[in-house]
Amino acid sequence: MIKDITIGQFFPGNSLIHKLDPRAKILLTFIFIIALFLSRNFFSLGLLFTTAIAAILVSRISFRVILKGLRMIVVLVVFTGILQLLYNDKGDILWKPFEQYDFAVTEGGVFSAVFIIFRIIALILFSSLLTYTTSPTMLTDAIERLLSPLKLFKINVNSLAMMMTIALRFIPTLIEEINIIMSAQKARGADLETGSFTQRVKALVPVFIPLIVNSFRRAYELAFAMECRCYTGNNKRTRMKKMKFSVRDYLVFVVVTLLVAAVIYTSYFDVYPLFIFERVV
Amino acid sequence: MNEKVLIEFSNVSYTYDEESADAVYAVSDISFNVKKGEFIVILGHNGSGKSTVAKLSNAIFTPSSGKVFVDSMDTSDEKNEFLIREKVGVVFQNPDNQIVASIVEEDVAFGPENLGIDPDIIRKRVDEALKSVGMYEYRLHETHRLSGGQKQRVAIAGMIAMQPQCIFFDESTAMLDPQGRKEVMNTVRKLNKEFGVSIVFITHFMEEAVNADKVIVINEGRIFAEGTPAEIFSRQDMLENAGLDVPDTVKLASLLRENGIPLDGDILTEENFIKAYLKAVKHSA
Repeated sequence: MIKDITIGQFFPGNSLIHKLDPRAKILLTFIFIIALFLSRNFFSLGLLFTTAIAAILVSRISFRVILKGLRMIVVLVVFTGILQLLYNDKGDILWKPFEQYDFAVTEGGVFSAVFIIFRIIALILFSSLLTYTTSPTMLTDAIERLLSPLKLFKINVNSLAMMMTIALRFIPTLIEEINIIMSAQKARGADLETGSFTQRVKALVPVFIPLIVNSFRRAYELAFAMECRCYTGNNKRTRMKKMKFSVRDYLVFVVVTLLVAAVIYTSYFDVYPLFIFERVV
Repeated sequence: MNEKVLIEFSNVSYTYDEESADAVYAVSDISFNVKKGEFIVILGHNGSGKSTVAKLSNAIFTPSSGKVFVDSMDTSDEKNEFLIREKVGVVFQNPDNQIVASIVEEDVAFGPENLGIDPDIIRKRVDEALKSVGMYEYRLHETHRLSGGQKQRVAIAGMIAMQPQCIFFDESTAMLDPQGRKEVMNTVRKLNKEFGVSIVFITHFMEEAVNADKVIVINEGRIFAEGTPAEIFSRQDMLENAGLDVPDTVKLASLLRENGIPLDGDILTEENFIKAYLKAVKHSA
């Protein structure tokens, strides 16, 4: 179960997407997410969805990895889809299972369910592409730089970024540790997999207590190690990796701006009287 | 060898609870010097206070009494902290708890970044440090996927990139398998021989003391014995009193000598032993 978590993982590579400036990638991800919420018809959604697929192809991240990441949200997707079917009563009635109730599946419901499902999937694709193609340190570096105006409000952006780096660095270590502790408890006869929900939750207590205790010990040791490497929390740090917007980044921004313009134009202005341009949500 | 004293411990005592009257001292009244380019091994069993020595060396801890000087700077003076840590690095036992970043080269860059060095120079230092520990090909790998020995070499590279004059290794091989231990030992020796970095290697594996310039045995927070590896290893009773495991070759050699087989020279390693033994056998035949 724990092994399936691919969100937040990084897959090193040399593709165009990998090489984009991480700040550009973060901004682009936000732009795409906003565009997804602005999009109202199948044409614009299709445009964005195709962009996501194209970006994945360019990044050379295998679709197996992508699908594995999507598995996490299957429940959410199905649930949202069902809600859309239930609550949208526009258009022709397609199926009315219970004569005595008002409930019916309508054309509008099916369209909006499909629309929402693909919107969520595209959302996940864009945001996981960001973490798949950007090393956690680069990501936090970029966030640090993007947030640096906050320094005006006396917010210590450097420390925030450091915390994020360390948190990301320790995710795999802690997952490994959970597995070790679980095995150790199982070897002593702990039953973690059967029984009622409350029983299983209770069985996890002896897993999490050692985990938390160990985390504190780790934190203590890490603090020493960081001090040994001249980290003081408020020194002026330099960075090995310089960040510079290149022609590549600007070009991508131009393309994306055109895309978003198309999304907004087709969603909010009357274009051709075609189905794909009709408002769905 | 340059005789310049780099680190000076002078009558250093340290206790973890300074308030209480009957405080237990982790380290008491320790004095020794680390000279430039020297390779010192500190031997001691668990809880002998040897790890505290490492933390006293670069102002992580400051002595409860006595003084530690690094390049004539007092570690008790907070103003010196940063300068001292630039000069003296410590590599700890558990590599997992020393690595800060998820990618090898980014972790190695952490120290130099803290020093505020120019990005191009950091890049150069990181590459050189990774090459010197033989991890250059792994520079883009994720740290959590490396073996224990590899992780520890990354931690060492992280120290090297800061270009300190002395590195303390606080039981840095204790959690490694024999292969990993060998990797780390070779790296440490190379650092000492080729780059002239002073090394203080703290361990409870006596085998690792064989190549030292000086061996210090610590027991119950005090210096128990001090000398060349040959001198120390010949005092088997003393070592056993200090709670250390004497290497089998050393034990075997002394047993053979007791039983009238004359073995020449200082026997520390298996190689020494085999040579001396073959010589003795040839002689008697």
